[in-house]
Amino acid sequence: MLKSTFTAFYRSFVRHPLYALLNLLGLSLGIAVFIALSLFYRFETSYESWSPKLPQIYTIGISFHFPGMTDDTGIGSMGGLLEELKTAYPQTDGTRYWPDSVIVHKGADVFNEQINLVDANFLIFFAVPVVYGDPANALSDPSHVVLSASLARKYFGVTNAVGRTMVLNDEEGLKTYTVSAIVADLPKNTEMKLDILRLLTPQRTALRSNWHHWGSVQLATYLKFKSRTEANALAVQFPAFTDRQAGQSFGPDVKPHKMLELKLIPLADAHLISPKLKAAVISLGVVGIVALALALINYVNLATARAGLRAREVAVRKTLGAAPLALRLQFIFEAMLTLLLAFLVALSFVELSLPLLNSAGGLSLKLDYHADALWIASVLAIVMVAGLVAALYPAFALSAFKPAQVLASSRTPGGGRTAGILRTGLAMVQFTAVAVAFILIMGFLLQIRHIQNADIGFQRSNLMIVNSIRDNAVTQSQRDAFVAGANALPGVSYVTIANAIPGDTSSVNNSNIVRPGQVDSATESPTVNYSIVGPEYFQLLGAKMLVGRVFDVQRGEDQMWDDKTTDKDRVYSVVISRRAARDMGFPTPQAALNQTARFNDHTVRIIGVVEDMRFYNPNEPIPAKLYLFDAHASESVVGMVRYQGLSAPAMREKLQHLWRQIAPAVPFDVTSAADNLDKYYKPERDRTHLFTIGAGIAALIGCIGLYGMAAFNTGRRVREIGVRKVLGASAGRVVGLLLRQFLYPVAIASLIAWPLGWLALERWLSQFDDAIAMPLWVFPVASGVALAIALVTVAGVAFGAASTEPGKALRHE
Amino acid sequence: MTSLIELQNITRLYRSDEVETTALHNISLHIKRGEFVAIMGPSGCGKSTLLNILGTIDRPTSGAYLFTDASGAQQDLARMNEVNLARHRARHLGFIFQSFNLVDDLTIYENIELGLLYRGGVKGGRRPIIEAAMDKVGIGHRARHFPHQLSGGQQQRAAIARAIVGSPDLILADEPTGNLDTENGAQVMQILQTLNQGGATIIMVTHSQSHADQATRQVDILDGQLVASVAQVL
Repeated sequence: MLKSTFTAFYRSFVRHPLYALLNLLGLSLGIAVFIALSLFYRFETSYESWSPKLPQIYTIGISFHFPGMTDDTGIGSMGGLLEELKTAYPQTDGTRYWPDSVIVHKGADVFNEQINLVDANFLIFFAVPVVYGDPANALSDPSHVVLSASLARKYFGVTNAVGRTMVLNDEEGLKTYTVSAIVADLPKNTEMKLDILRLLTPQRTALRSNWHHWGSVQLATYLKFKSRTEANALAVQFPAFTDRQAGQSFGPDVKPHKMLELKLIPLADAHLISPKLKAAVISLGVVGIVALALALINYVNLATARAGLRAREVAVRKTLGAAPLALRLQFIFEAMLTLLLAFLVALSFVELSLPLLNSAGGLSLKLDYHADALWIASVLAIVMVAGLVAALYPAFALSAFKPAQVLASSRTPGGGRTAGILRTGLAMVQFTAVAVAFILIMGFLLQIRHIQNADIGFQRSNLMIVNSIRDNAVTQSQRDAFVAGANALPGVSYVTIANAIPGDTSSVNNSNIVRPGQVDSATESPTVNYSIVGPEYFQLLGAKMLVGRVFDVQRGEDQMWDDKTTDKDRVYSVVISRRAARDMGFPTPQAALNQTARFNDHTVRIIGVVEDMRFYNPNEPIPAKLYLFDAHASESVVGMVRYQGLSAPAMREKLQHLWRQIAPAVPFDVTSAADNLDKYYKPERDRTHLFTIGAGIAALIGCIGLYGMAAFNTGRRVREIGVRKVLGASAGRVVGLLLRQFLYPVAIASLIAWPLGWLALERWLSQFDDAIAMPLWVFPVASGVALAIALVTVAGVAFGAASTEPGKALRHE
Repeated sequence: MTSLIELQNITRLYRSDEVETTALHNISLHIKRGEFVAIMGPSGCGKSTLLNILGTIDRPTSGAYLFTDASGAQQDLARMNEVNLARHRARHLGFIFQSFNLVDDLTIYENIELGLLYRGGVKGGRRPIIEAAMDKVGIGHRARHFPHQLSGGQQQRAAIARAIVGSPDLILADEPTGNLDTENGAQVMQILQTLNQGGATIIMVTHSQSHADQATRQVDILDGQLVASVAQVL
């Protein structure tokens, strides 16, 4: 019996290649999309799973509730939080991770690397895979460093570099360290970069004045609990703990926990803490499921359609004594074989397309048959179970044929009215999905194009950001020399220093601003995001001045900002943004001009209002901005260079040459503003690419299904077509008749897609601060494209059938 | 000769939404082992319905269909469930159709093998049985071909091989020569006669008087009723 089933399966492939190809291609494509997006979903939802302790580890997140600011939860905490927690709750088991930049000296060469200052228990806490060295003691000595295997190879040429020394230059100065352990390279889906680890010492924390400043965020704090209950027990004490520890940090009458909400977040959830990112990952997972569902619908449609063609075989088998159960098992077994084959083909599709997918989606997915065997098996199991459910209907439909009727009739049975309705219904579901996909693809691409080309308040092209300037090793005279030198370069129009940097939030500060007569209250006063900028900053950016003027180093009243001054009577000139003027309650920008306010214990006078500039994520509102002036600012500032008439690489090279002359001991690090900003745009663009690929393939599957259906139904109607032609119908009328049969459900489906597409697109657009208006034209266009594809798909089959000679058609059966 | 089939007052009605058609009316018929019965009658008289009921691929609306197997046990097939009917067909019946009804996707050998597939109990030793059946009808050299590669006569001989491969108690033939030319028709009739002389019971529906004359008995049907049952001297 098994052999007979194999034979039937094999023959159906060999002898009906078109059907077999359509069926296999549709299924394989659907399964391939499902596998690829499952890989993506697994990658995104299994961050930090390299740590065997993951289920027990939580990280601290903070949600700030300041007026005018979004209260999204961010991962990170004040540097000294762990110490305060340990004092209050001595049983606390925690560790910290503080990324910083470091200069590595190797002979005469210098390299920029990321160093992570961690507590001594870090390796044990996370059970970091240690390749060489003793994890318990590797970080006990401040003169030790722990390297990753790849970094050890980079600097020492071997993995086992334990005992070797390396020279590092960071905030603590130039020192020699001994390598005490080597850790394995972590997989890509981690937020941690364990390239260089060093002990976080009290000497280092002493360099930070804000180590215990409630409201600051410096590093990541991790806590470990034996159970969720234990974690929850601590979390409920956070508000009281915050109020105790923060005291009057947010004002005399303000409960600190109302402003700063500490949260305990399972480490496994930390990567997708942003609801928008989580929603994006889930929607791509849904696309995978939809693609699989569409492929299975295809399978059901084609299998039931072909069931009609196999009716005679079924009737013969029944006549020869096959019981319905035996036939059902045969068809289910055939379905399982088809699915298995499709799964194998799908795996090879995924293998072949992963490089393309990774580059289109900015991903690093891979299929490792050895390590992922269990995962692949479970995906196969899901596909097979879903396939089994899908195969039940055709199996029952086939085995239900009455042999006497089938053998007596010369017409191929179609499976009856129910099967016909089912097939039409399923085709409608498919085409609804296809039309929704088209609506969303067009909507997504329009929005992506919009945010890429939108006026963001400044000119992002031809603008270099020299990050090296902010290195701790750079002196004031070197900074000044670089600004002067860059200004003298041909093609350079402006040079300045500032810590308001497009696409860089590393030096973002927020504070209250209070107008005279207003109450100074953390819960009510507007919050501004403030930055320090040098001369010609606004000219350099090409910012639009709404009223007033920009800073002028020649004017005495534009005093250099000095946060530490004790002279409380000094009045500083500030420039604010349109949003800041609005938040401060000025009816127009004009009204804000020359007004004073209290800011950070100083009096400031507004000398100008500039248009809002979008420096950060396009999904988030542009913050209210306050600009302070300091021509020689040193803290966290970068150099900014505006140029014309030469290419980015040429400009880069000139700046690098200059830098090498001024500060050879500090590696040159420059980015363009456009590249810096692109990190906000790229994820959205990448996800749109992924979605477009997935939805495009889903649409292709729908077309394959429709083609199969058209071919089958037309095949069944050959005799009818013959009769109609004998009675005088023209080929055109026959084509019209056949097309109507298919286009009717497709037309209805594309209309059903409108409200669904509207809801999905509206929801997606609502996550952007600067969203396009609902593009109404995409709805009819999506329907039109779906109909056109259906038309082209079916027309070929219909023309073929309509042009058959009637005599041949009538002899057909 | 021992009894094989006894039909008692078999009636078959077809009902659609508005029309009720009587295909067979009160047919009673007794067939012994070793008989070669030809059923004749004009188109639409109910011949094929009768054959379908005899073949258990259709059920009578009323009446009894008693079948006596080789051991002498008798059962009423009109009251048997589908699973047992399928088993009955596999063990006791062989079918030959006017349009051959070979499975297009299977080779001639595999088509004939279908005749054994659902019987059970002959695992391993199928090949010699299949080859013997093919030799009996003279298509041994066509084993690896597909049906569409054969002439009509060869296809019908393959279908006969499929019908006889399981040594059934009864062979049912529905106009087995209807789609064949005279020469091929004669060959098929020759094979059926040889099978009958070897002990096989055959019931054949035919339009051809000359073919009916080669049977041991002729049964005439008209408008769903049995009008004559005449034993013939060959």
